[in-house]
Amino acid sequence: MVAAISRKRFLTGWTAFIILFFLFFVILPTIYILSYAFTEWGSIEALLEDQGRMDLIWGAIGASFQIAGIVTVIDIVTGLPMAWMLVRKDFRGKNLLDTLIDMPLAVPTAALGFSSAMFFAITDESLQAPSFALGTIGSPYLLIILLHVVFSYPYMVRSLSAILVQIDQTYETAGRTLGASPLTAARTITLPLFRAGLVTGIILCFARSLSETGGTMIALATMANARGFATGPTLIGEWKDALDSQPDLAAPLAFVSILLILLSLALLVVIKLVVMRVHLPMGRIWPRPERLLSRGVFPKVKDGLAVLFLVVFVLVPSFFIFTYVGSVEPTAFDWAPFIRSLLYSFLIAGVVTGIDIALGVPLALYIAKNRSGRLAGALDVLVNVPLIVPTAALGYSLGVFWASQEIVPTHDVLLIVLAHVAFTYPLVVRNVAGAVEEVDPAYEETARTLGARPVQAFRRVLYPMVKSSILAGAIMAFTRSLGETGATQAVVANAQTAPVYIVDLINLETAAGYYSAGLACIMLIVISFLFMLALRYVTNRRAR
Amino acid sequence: MMPEVRLEGLGKRYGNLTAVNNVHLTVHDGEYVTVLGPSGCGKTTLIRMIAGIIEPTEGKVYIDGRDMAGVPIEDRDIGYVFQNIALFPHLTVKDNVSYGPRARALPPEEQLRVSRRFLELVRLLDRMGMFPDELCGGEQQKAALARALASGSRLLLLDEPLSALDSRVRVDLRYELRRLAKELGLTTIHVTHDQEEAQSVSDRIVLMRAGAIVETGTPEELYARPKHIFTANFIGETNLLEGWVVEIRDGISVIELRNGGKVEVHQTDHSVGDAVVISVRPEFMYPADEGMRAVVRGITYMGTYWRVKAETEDDEEVDFDMATLDGNLLTIGKDVYLAVNPKAAVLYPRPEDGVEEAIRLE
Amino acid sequence: MPSVRLIGLRKTFGGIKAADGLDLEVRNGEYLCLLGPTGAGKTTALRMIAGLVSPDEGKVLFNGEDVTNTPVEERKAALLPQTYSLFPQLTVEENITFGLDIRGADERLKEQVLISMLDLVRLSGRSTAFPRELSGGMQQRTALARALASGADMLLLDEPLRALDARLRISLRTELRSLVKSLRMTTIHVTHDQDEALVMADRVAIIREGRIIQVGTPKEVWDRPATPFVANFLGQSNFFIGEVLQSSPCTLLRTPDGTVLKGRSSDLIPGTQAVMGVKIGSTELSKERPGYLQAKVERILFEGRNLHMDMMTGGGQRLSAKLPSWKKGRITVGDTVGIYWEEEKGTVFSMPANGLESELKVE
Repeated sequence: MVAAISRKRFLTGWTAFIILFFLFFVILPTIYILSYAFTEWGSIEALLEDQGRMDLIWGAIGASFQIAGIVTVIDIVTGLPMAWMLVRKDFRGKNLLDTLIDMPLAVPTAALGFSSAMFFAITDESLQAPSFALGTIGSPYLLIILLHVVFSYPYMVRSLSAILVQIDQTYETAGRTLGASPLTAARTITLPLFRAGLVTGIILCFARSLSETGGTMIALATMANARGFATGPTLIGEWKDALDSQPDLAAPLAFVSILLILLSLALLVVIKLVVMRVHLPMGRIWPRPERLLSRGVFPKVKDGLAVLFLVVFVLVPSFFIFTYVGSVEPTAFDWAPFIRSLLYSFLIAGVVTGIDIALGVPLALYIAKNRSGRLAGALDVLVNVPLIVPTAALGYSLGVFWASQEIVPTHDVLLIVLAHVAFTYPLVVRNVAGAVEEVDPAYEETARTLGARPVQAFRRVLYPMVKSSILAGAIMAFTRSLGETGATQAVVANAQTAPVYIVDLINLETAAGYYSAGLACIMLIVISFLFMLALRYVTNRRAR
Repeated sequence: MMPEVRLEGLGKRYGNLTAVNNVHLTVHDGEYVTVLGPSGCGKTTLIRMIAGIIEPTEGKVYIDGRDMAGVPIEDRDIGYVFQNIALFPHLTVKDNVSYGPRARALPPEEQLRVSRRFLELVRLLDRMGMFPDELCGGEQQKAALARALASGSRLLLLDEPLSALDSRVRVDLRYELRRLAKELGLTTIHVTHDQEEAQSVSDRIVLMRAGAIVETGTPEELYARPKHIFTANFIGETNLLEGWVVEIRDGISVIELRNGGKVEVHQTDHSVGDAVVISVRPEFMYPADEGMRAVVRGITYMGTYWRVKAETEDDEEVDFDMATLDGNLLTIGKDVYLAVNPKAAVLYPRPEDGVEEAIRLE
Repeated sequence: MPSVRLIGLRKTFGGIKAADGLDLEVRNGEYLCLLGPTGAGKTTALRMIAGLVSPDEGKVLFNGEDVTNTPVEERKAALLPQTYSLFPQLTVEENITFGLDIRGADERLKEQVLISMLDLVRLSGRSTAFPRELSGGMQQRTALARALASGADMLLLDEPLRALDARLRISLRTELRSLVKSLRMTTIHVTHDQDEALVMADRVAIIREGRIIQVGTPKEVWDRPATPFVANFLGQSNFFIGEVLQSSPCTLLRTPDGTVLKGRSSDLIPGTQAVMGVKIGSTELSKERPGYLQAKVERILFEGRNLHMDMMTGGGQRLSAKLPSWKKGRITVGDTVGIYWEEEKGTVFSMPANGLESELKVE
């Protein structure tokens, strides 16, 4: 009896610790900068008067949101047929297609940015892009849209197919037995059921596009004549870099961050409401044209276009860099700084992932098991905040937060780790909470009636079932941390992580710089791939 | 329209696995046929091939004389009721039922008329405005039935329509199914694993096992004179006693059982010396002054009768039934002599792989 | 082996009363079936006994000792869930020894128990298989063996046969019961299937809307139902409404059209409104005898050992009867038959407060 009570107390204490960690180390630093508006209103007022800077700010933020919006629409339109094909159809090469879609996810965004810009854009002459590159895009705006499509497309396809799998195909079949053509059934039955899930995909894409910094900066640097174009996050990066020499940038930095945080959170709410409310024309049915479109050559054309889009707009830009490094004159490559930055990045990503797992899994368990409770419900919503907030704004906010504290010494590495934890932690929590909720509680309950204490029931029954999701969460956290530029730069201006190192190389605007950057990108890609393969191997083996 | 369904050599293979093998069957216009069998016997694959949800790898489906090869589901003009009910969760009961007319672009007033008519038929008119999850299981399945009927089809395919429901609700609803099918003059193919359900609704039962038809017949034929030992056990409970034919005279075969007891059966299609199995249902076995000796091991009250479990001298278990009034005469441990009604017993040649294997359910 | 007592259990989930003053006593070593329709609170009752749900009010006693606050794992009451919940990553063998592993039993004991359990549930040949490789029946037996081997002395079965095919379900009834009985475990078996309860139970407890309506041997609950609901849930009944003329030595009930029906003696007050229930299996038909009332046969369905007949009286009441199949042919559709029953088969109930129809609702 005594043992039972102390066990209970320990559990309560542990739970409280986990929740407090989440609130004080993740949520609070993420939005701390909002308090700046209250404490330093004067300097913001002064900024509002400064026409030149305000134009810059509005221009960048406007561009960010427009780009994110356009990218999301493109992703939905092109991703839906692809997701449909992957889930609902059977064809040869389906597994290959499935793997191909995931490939860009393994490429760090810095490398993606360089590779895509080289393929799409008119580049600096010293770059010597291969002659078969598209090389026609002259507008930075358009280039960034294309780039963001490259790396958000896989996310959209993945989240759409995840929902599609869950919608029982019997509904469509039922519709067809009632005389509806496949297109009619999909449009009037599956799509309305799809709605709630679509929100997740839209938010994910939107947030990713809004957040993206490293790839965007590199693409802009690679492109010829892109000076003066900025998105919200790149503006933060630029200004933070210059903050030491121009201390009056503090107010504009805070202001941009506040705007990005508030607007993205507002957008989250708006998207949820709009998508759930909007009335698609589901009432009408046009039997003949829809039937016609369901038959013969039309579905094949649709599927063909989906695959074509994947290849031309996603895969080729992702891996174009290999052709570049293979085609230009090799120049000397300075290994030492690259290796150093690589180790630096890996060290941070490793520590971050460790913290995420150790403290994220318990929170996930708490949320999944107390879903009906108010506290858990609130935590579940809060977990999304760091995912939505652009990482550059998050990083700046976090840097300011920790600088204002005296508890934690503001050491560079520590700050970067804390920043990376803030935006990767939710990935682990959401992945694991989702997986735990999938598992029928009857397993653990049965184990308990067979004599297992709660800890034993978790370790022997639940843990083996969600292990692969924990690992998947860990992989996501690790690669996100590895590829992150925005948050890193916003916390510590000159942190030499691998992506930042590549940005610097490209900014040299010399043939040698480009070549070194290309080589560094390829090595980053190869290492990421090896790493993911190894993890996948481990996951598969353990799952068996 | 005369929706007669004809299957010719229908088969479905998945790699090395044969789900359905060479099925020939004709379901006549207006007939109510159930396809009955244990899990994995291929019955669901069969009905799905008729509906066009699964493409057969061999053979043909004819509906109304028309070859259905290459005809998509929506052009087969069928009503289909799913095991998991599959009412569209985002539509009200009324909109669910009017989906068929809507998909065929009937005018709105016609849609409403049709949905009212069929909801009335299943007595759910007062639930029109509700969403599926606001109905209880039985009502949901009735709504799904109304939806299938409202599409105007004369061929109704029921894929285990009652298995998701409570047993009591199931019993009430199965009478309803038959009533509607007959009232509307539909051709019905109903798939189930529940032999009781099959018996009480069908004009004809098709019993399947391991992808093939075992036998086809009216419920009475299959219950009273099943041609196959598997049928005897699957449709209703039965005692299977192994023995040898020792004598044939005047239309009667005398069978000597393993324990030496003798049983007479009104059936003479086996020769003296043949190894046979006698199937006799518990209600056709009764205590008598002489016969097979057994010890009573258990007595269960079944409401309208007592089910007695007894053990013969060679440790075989036999079940027999007694009227409620006589049940009190027996006690556990008591010796009884059991006689068999010779007209109700059926003989089978002894299966080569043993009786166990011949009647295996899984 | 413990006895179980539930005293005044109450449990509300979001405004729905899953247990509403639940009292029940299960005897030492008894096989008790908790029978009721979906949503009656059967599973909640079982989960409260297991300790997976804690009651808002009331007590759970094992052997007279209050275990209401005892953690699940210390109750020694093993649960067999409806879908079995076999641990997918463990083999049959590992599943069965799960409870022993947890308790750190030594290898020799584990080996012993394992061998006897595999033998008991006829799975010796499949001990290294994973659950997904087994048929439904085998999975069910593995789950049973796992529960039995855990060292629990009470078995809680939640619709243990529901996931199986109808025919297999029937075959496994006696097997499951005798297996459990041979180990003398106290067993509580939740089911919605009345045949299953009749065949398997020592005693049947009928539950509805979170309350136990009646507990008794199968014969008691069948022959002497406590309410019209019980009369109809077990085996379906025909009901007649009327006024009580006398209640002893037999009850006489006069229907609105003046027919006087006979039933078992009761304690109803003459002059009150009452309902008489007669099981359709006890409803007898005759073309020669006029019976209590006449009806026209509308439909005859062959159901194997029985025939199910639906009839309509002149007054528009639907009645049903169940006859042994060998009587087939004596009565055909369109015949007018006299309907009667033995006096003992008619049970008279006071008029349900909410009317007969809502009393009989099973959903």
